[in-house]
Amino acid sequence: MRRIVLALAAWLPVALGACVDQAAGGGAGARDQIRVVGSSTVYPFTTLIAEQYLAANPNARPPVIESTGTGAGIRLFCAGIGASYADLVDASRRMKRSEYDECARHGAGDLMEVQIGIDGIAFAEARQGPPMRLTPALIFRALAAAPDGRPNDSRTWRDLDPEMPATPIRVYGPPATSGTREAFAELILARGCETLKPELAALRERNRAAFDARCLAVRDDGAYVDAGENDNLIVQKLGANPDAIGIFGYSYLEENTDAVRGVAINGVEPSYGAIANDSYPGSRALYVYVKRAHLRAVPGLRRFLALYAANWAPGGALTRRGLIPSPVSVRARAADTISHDRPLDPRSLDAGVIG
Amino acid sequence: MSKSLVPHVPVSAAEVAPHRPTDWRSDAMERRVRRRYAAERRFRLMGLGAVVVSAGFLAFLLIVMIAQGHLGFVETRVTLPLDLRQARLGLTAERLRGPGADLALAGAGLERAVDAAANRAFATEGGAALLSDGAWLRVRDAVKRDPHLLGRPFTLDLPVASAIDVAAKGNGTPAAERTVAALGAHLSRGIARDFLTGADSTDATRAGIWGALKGSLLTMFVTLALAFPVGVLSAIYLEEYAPRNRATDFLEVSINNLAAVPSIVFGLLGLAVFLGTLHLPRSAPLVGGLTLALMTMPVIVIASRNAIRAVPPSIRDAALAVGASPIQVVSHHVLPLAAPGILTGTIIGMARALGETAPLLMIGMRAFIAAPPDRLTDPATALPVQIFLWSDQVSRGFVEKTSAAILVLLVFLLAMNGVAIFLRNRFETRW
Repeated sequence: MRRIVLALAAWLPVALGACVDQAAGGGAGARDQIRVVGSSTVYPFTTLIAEQYLAANPNARPPVIESTGTGAGIRLFCAGIGASYADLVDASRRMKRSEYDECARHGAGDLMEVQIGIDGIAFAEARQGPPMRLTPALIFRALAAAPDGRPNDSRTWRDLDPEMPATPIRVYGPPATSGTREAFAELILARGCETLKPELAALRERNRAAFDARCLAVRDDGAYVDAGENDNLIVQKLGANPDAIGIFGYSYLEENTDAVRGVAINGVEPSYGAIANDSYPGSRALYVYVKRAHLRAVPGLRRFLALYAANWAPGGALTRRGLIPSPVSVRARAADTISHDRPLDPRSLDAGVIG
Repeated sequence: MSKSLVPHVPVSAAEVAPHRPTDWRSDAMERRVRRRYAAERRFRLMGLGAVVVSAGFLAFLLIVMIAQGHLGFVETRVTLPLDLRQARLGLTAERLRGPGADLALAGAGLERAVDAAANRAFATEGGAALLSDGAWLRVRDAVKRDPHLLGRPFTLDLPVASAIDVAAKGNGTPAAERTVAALGAHLSRGIARDFLTGADSTDATRAGIWGALKGSLLTMFVTLALAFPVGVLSAIYLEEYAPRNRATDFLEVSINNLAAVPSIVFGLLGLAVFLGTLHLPRSAPLVGGLTLALMTMPVIVIASRNAIRAVPPSIRDAALAVGASPIQVVSHHVLPLAAPGILTGTIIGMARALGETAPLLMIGMRAFIAAPPDRLTDPATALPVQIFLWSDQVSRGFVEKTSAAILVLLVFLLAMNGVAIFLRNRFETRW
């Protein structure tokens, strides 16, 4: 009996070891499969590109696209270069300087930045709800943790503006890790904060952290409901709760126009045209970042990138899926980046520009 | 016999006096009896109510899923007349026999030819926008099967675009409903073969469950190959060989605790150990299987120990008495008798692993992959993760696909539990 037990004890590590050996071939060596991580907003567009890539190259291995959210995606992407790290990261905002430095520290600092198009973060409400008209300042006063320096205690929209309905303030939005949430903070809350308190604009330059704490912190007493990364869930919650307002990507609004309608901000309804010409305040640029070192190592990566450029113009497959094309000059610059492998200049990230 | 059970026998005339027999007909007595029966009835109804509530939940789930999901197995097709001679594809039947057929057809502009045919045939109804993104692939496959189609006009039933498909099933936008009414007799329905044989897609009409199902099967294979032998051997050792002392008591408590640990914890463990330390490939069924094996093993150990313990000691004593060695006792007698219980526990543990999502999310088995995996190290998703991914899709067409995928998962879970019940009934020995 003892012999049997010993034999089994010896066999198990061997079996496990065999697994590891087999896996090492796929994990650490060369890889013939494109790997993408990142934003859930860009995910539908990148998956479409992956499909076109497969249709055009029937013998290629299928690309692997993971939707992790922009922040988590950049962390995975920046963990290093080589076969076990992603080639491409989808981002629904620009990479931050701190994130770039993290990348560079792991040897992955040689990047290309490609803006693939624009997305709007849409404010929406149920069709049967009372029509709302919002401004960034109003949203800031309704949702900021401390709009006047003391905890926010407004309960209904009428508390803020006598013209508004007396419905309770209830906003369903994305969680703090999401790129959509960061765009909401940057595009709406920061704008509202600066409109109300022009003196804080100077603070932004001097002390970014203090400005973020003062202007971008969202109240956590239940008025802002963190609804997770699932935007369909927010649409459903709006149907069940007509007084509430939801925040999600514009493509979800477009797909669900029978259940929800856009809320005008500064008098501008979220629409395709208003987002493209930047008159709707909730528009943001979508990016992909590519490791230049991987362009040579991973077969097909160049063709994959070229497919973005072939489909992002008005009328292209990406725009049929809800992507809003960037202005012509931005498209030309991005196409040039792809065709000439132009590296990203990290100094351009310092300004914190939202495209 | 104890004293209290001996009936009290009157000893003197004085004691006999006022003893009357119980009056069952008195009001007080009848009230008491009624109360007893009422309590009995109430208790029975409470039990019945509990069963009805739980069956009601199950029926509600199944009815909703089947009502929404059965349409996911059906696709709407439009009959399209095609004549590929006009398209000048520059292809010959000979070129389509070789292995380069897919490439030749993809490069020859077949997609444009199909779109042009749709634009001609349905100019007023919307043209090529009516067709699913994958419609031309059907034409490609038809031409590959029968290269003579290149030389003559023919008609083919092609899947329609997702919006039209949803509208034809009675749930679409007003514009799409009008298109469906205009197309009328050109539309037909058929089994969505792509759903059963394809992998994930961005277009609901092309999305298939086979990629995720195959990922799940590969994952389950790794889980079973690891958790079953390790689980059963530990159970045998603990029951048959291990001495009873503090150490084994501690081990027993630990295994029971492990069985109750939330699955997300195993996911984090898998992320740290298999991906972080051992550098196994991300998103692979191998890693998913290893992680789920950690989770399933304690369940198998506990079930197997109970099954082994249920084998009466007399069997072991008898075998030892006729000269069997301990290993013969275990392998010839204890294991075969305990097998139904062990297998039932294993299958139930595997069914739980099949439905598990959280640990797989942690190790990256949540990616979009447009082809089924071929090896254990290929990136893959699993059924429950696929359901999770589809539920987050923008396009309406994915609602029914999500429900249909849930149906597929439920069928597999029911089948596994059915096998477990069959094994138990067929082979179980009662002592």
